[in-house]
Amino acid sequence: MRRCGRGLLWLVLAIPAAIMLSRLLGPSAMPMDLLHPTGEMALRLMVLAMLPGPLLDFFGPNRFLRSWLAIRRNLGVAAFAYGALHLLFYGLDMGSIGAILAEFSLPAIWTGWIAFAFMLAMASISREAAMSKLGRWWKPIQRTAYPAVFLALAHWVLLDREWGPALVHLAPLLIVWSLRGLAVSVTFRQARKESAS
Amino acid sequence: MKLSLRGFGVAVAGMSLWIGSPAQADGNVRCDAGPRGNWKSLSEVRKKAWMEGWKVARVQVEGDCYEVYAHTEAGLAIEAFFHPVTLRKLVVFRRGSEIYRAPGFGG
Repeated sequence: MRRCGRGLLWLVLAIPAAIMLSRLLGPSAMPMDLLHPTGEMALRLMVLAMLPGPLLDFFGPNRFLRSWLAIRRNLGVAAFAYGALHLLFYGLDMGSIGAILAEFSLPAIWTGWIAFAFMLAMASISREAAMSKLGRWWKPIQRTAYPAVFLALAHWVLLDREWGPALVHLAPLLIVWSLRGLAVSVTFRQARKESAS
Repeated sequence: MKLSLRGFGVAVAGMSLWIGSPAQADGNVRCDAGPRGNWKSLSEVRKKAWMEGWKVARVQVEGDCYEVYAHTEAGLAIEAFFHPVTLRKLVVFRRGSEIYRAPGFGG
């Protein structure tokens, strides 16, 4: 069941990539058309991977959140894969290394590169072996998801000169972080009350 | 790490709903171009961009403007907005940074 579930999950995660790649076969398709969809997918999957932790802190453990948490690493690796596709289409669109390097210093571009570097670091240590090898260092590296998501959002806002779509993607995170903050403050107050009585 | 089938199903359904919807958007350049009947054709704006020395990748309607994706002679990837009636070059962006704005254009 577990292996079957993972296979199904990866199939679902691969469907948008298959649709995007099939679009490239169309007569008027260009790599630049796939920059937005791949970037959005990468960001959405990253946000999805970051939601269950705070939700678990607020609602407590339940089967749904445990299942979500169990696929968190898969979501993160899939986010990286879509980020890599995004980079591939960017490279194809630009056509040369020189052109890519020439615009590296633009804020809208370097934010994307650094976000991708963080995603690469996280994806490269996603296997169990890396987890046990890195020990207590594993978690701090995974926490680079926070700057990665903010840099990815900045990349989007700077490129499109529009706040709306990026804020829609940030909103779920802001909500769950607020819920976690609430849960932490309630627990802290309860602990203080108990120690005082 | 055990996956429950129901939990997994709900997670996949929720995920598909959210990630399946495109959120593409572009900056709000306004050209005040008026009725479409008066607009010049896409091929005319393509020619205008070509005359700038650009290698045009795509020309499309964005809001009430013509938007051109192109590479300049120097190889810069740019996004330019033209007025659909006058074909005046109004504003040019390079990866979101404004590199040209026509004098007096505030749209």
